[in-house]
Amino acid sequence: MRVRVKAFARFREILGSDIPIEVPDGATMAAVLVALRDRAGGESDAIFDEGGALRAHVILMRNGKRVKRDDSDALADGDEVALFPPVAGG
Amino acid sequence: MIGITRDVIDAGVMIEAAKRPGMGALVTFCGVVRDDGGIERMELEVYEEIAVRELETIRDEAIRKYPIESVDIVHRVGTLFVGETILLIVVGAGHRKEAFAASEYIIDRLKQTVPIWKKEFGRDGQERWVPGEPGDRTSSPPPG
Repeated sequence: MRVRVKAFARFREILGSDIPIEVPDGATMAAVLVALRDRAGGESDAIFDEGGALRAHVILMRNGKRVKRDDSDALADGDEVALFPPVAGG
Repeated sequence: MIGITRDVIDAGVMIEAAKRPGMGALVTFCGVVRDDGGIERMELEVYEEIAVRELETIRDEAIRKYPIESVDIVHRVGTLFVGETILLIVVGAGHRKEAFAASEYIIDRLKQTVPIWKKEFGRDGQERWVPGEPGDRTSSPPPG
């Protein structure tokens, strides 16, 4: 199945703005994060720590709702995942 | 009116449109691109669906919390130069005190929860993402 990842600000510069990611049926957020870390390559340390976990300030959403990075729910085909740094509008 | 725009924000038009007979006070907050150590322009980026939803939530919170009649918020994105309006908040109320209090509440919440980011471009060619507010509270639940 395929999920779409939207990344913003510094993370968009590293990953791209709208990224289709193929994951096996039943995959959870962890599989998406592994794929994103690979995609970020040498710039992954802006998003992930040395152990491969998302840095504490990174905000993660699934279908418009904030989720925890260790969310164990299975993703569904067509889900939209969003990844962004702390907001700075106004 | 709640919205994200890529066009110039006309404060006069927004204020006139917000007026109702019961209002004795309209307080506006206008955020502007500041020349902060040689800044020439900013590029603002938005997660639009979520930003509109968060702005609507802030409007509803302000109307519940303060005795005010109306809240309008328009935030601009795209490329903005020094002196251009980034956002305009218009709060209409019977009296000024609650309108001032509500407008401060709205801008403080907006800076915490609305997914918008700014990149500054200096006249010297330097680029820099403006750091976000610590303790960001975009949507819920809190991060785990």
